[in-house]
Amino acid sequence: MQIDWLTVAAQVVNFLILVYLLKRFLYQPVTAAMARREQRVEDRLQQSREREAQAEHERERLHQRLEQLEQQRDKLMQEAREQAEQERQQLLDEARDEREASRQRWQQQAEDEKDRFLEGLRRETAAGFEQLARKALTDLADVELEAQMVHQLIARLDALDEDMRQQLAGASASEQVQINTRFALAESQRRQLTETIQQQLGEQREVAYQESSQLLCGIELRVGGQRLGWTLADYLDRFEERLDNAIGATPA
Amino acid sequence: MTISPDQIVLWAWGPLHLNATVAWTWAIMALITLVCWGVSRRLASGPELSRWQNALEVLVTGLRDQIRDVSQQEPGQYLPFVGTLFVFIAVSNLLTLVPFYLPPTGSLSTTTALALCVLIAVPLYGIIHRGPLGYLRHYIEPTPLMLPFNLIGELSRTLALAVRLYGNIMSGTVIVGILLSLTPFFFPIVMQLLGLLTGMIQAYIFAVLAMVYIASASSANRAADQGSDQQGKQQSDQQGKQQDDQQSDQQDHQQSDQAPEQTDRSTQA
Repeated sequence: MQIDWLTVAAQVVNFLILVYLLKRFLYQPVTAAMARREQRVEDRLQQSREREAQAEHERERLHQRLEQLEQQRDKLMQEAREQAEQERQQLLDEARDEREASRQRWQQQAEDEKDRFLEGLRRETAAGFEQLARKALTDLADVELEAQMVHQLIARLDALDEDMRQQLAGASASEQVQINTRFALAESQRRQLTETIQQQLGEQREVAYQESSQLLCGIELRVGGQRLGWTLADYLDRFEERLDNAIGATPA
Repeated sequence: MTISPDQIVLWAWGPLHLNATVAWTWAIMALITLVCWGVSRRLASGPELSRWQNALEVLVTGLRDQIRDVSQQEPGQYLPFVGTLFVFIAVSNLLTLVPFYLPPTGSLSTTTALALCVLIAVPLYGIIHRGPLGYLRHYIEPTPLMLPFNLIGELSRTLALAVRLYGNIMSGTVIVGILLSLTPFFFPIVMQLLGLLTGMIQAYIFAVLAMVYIASASSANRAADQGSDQQGKQQSDQQGKQQDDQQSDQQDHQQSDQAPEQTDRSTQA
């Protein structure tokens, strides 16, 4: 055995010194560094877990907010759509009403215009016809025709009913009976007429004869406020009156 | 032929002499300390590590894992002693690649010194863990008749530790020396490579055996620790593996804080 006990002692001391040195420069610093790193990793993990939780929370919050906004948007869109639909409907109704009103107005105007035109046409036609008739009758009127009319008047006086006769007779006994004609009557006609009048209305009656161009053709008897006659002017007036009535009664 | 660096005396003054064993031991100590000091000056606690720091962390973590596996206890208090055994033996064996280097572990004096340290550390850890009476009682277990055998076993395993390491390293050096004289080319290199492997294995064996002896001396405490460990494991299994690691690391740090005092006591003793 080659054991040098001095060397053994020296090596024991050397070894113990090395234990101290390694503990001082290797184990403690390295272990501490690893522990620090683990702590840092743990801290980071903890931080990241917290951040993750925070992010999750935030995500949840934003998600809810988004849902709220979407709901709100849908609601607003729905409202806007309904409002727009109402507005559209209202505008359509208004436009339709306005169009209807203007159409009616226009139609009314057209109708009025047509009526006015037709009425004017009628009136003008009637006036023209009346003027034409009046002119034709005026042209046709002559003594002979008037003689026929005198006959007619005499026939009517003869055929006078009692009421009419009383009215004419009762007007005033002293009042003069006036006979108007267009043309002057022949003496025989005057005598015959005078006799007929006196026979019907009283013997004392005075009969005055007068000529009037307004009668066109015909004869009329006036006593007091009463009148009896047969003239073309009467016919034409009656015709005009009926024509006016007929035009007025025509529906627009 | 010189088979022990003890016989190479570099300097002598009276009865004191400085031989190659002590000189190379100082060189190794200086190398290890300088490297550790240089690296630990700039330790980063962030995710970016220097290559050297990474290597040292791998070393420390591996040692702690080994100690934890063998002792079933937290490694903090054993790490300086057992770890230094491994680091010193491994470095001194690996440096056999350097020309003209003579490994101090090839000296029976060095291995005896290391084995004596183990011989003293075992009862120290045992007494710290179990108390003096508790530790001494294990010599008369299972019966007092076993006392001589226990004592012999204690001594013989220390002797075995010393001789095993010495024999392996010395034989490696001797084999290379003999082969150099017989077949100077190629073959000695293969044997040196084999020597590297043997050196690492011997460092591992020495450290693990030391740990086993220390752990068996504090077995009462270990049993108690095992009970609490099992409970802790059941809880931690429920809580998940990650939390388990955190807890064990925290305990580890606490115990590593206590460890220096204990090892100081052992060195004083």
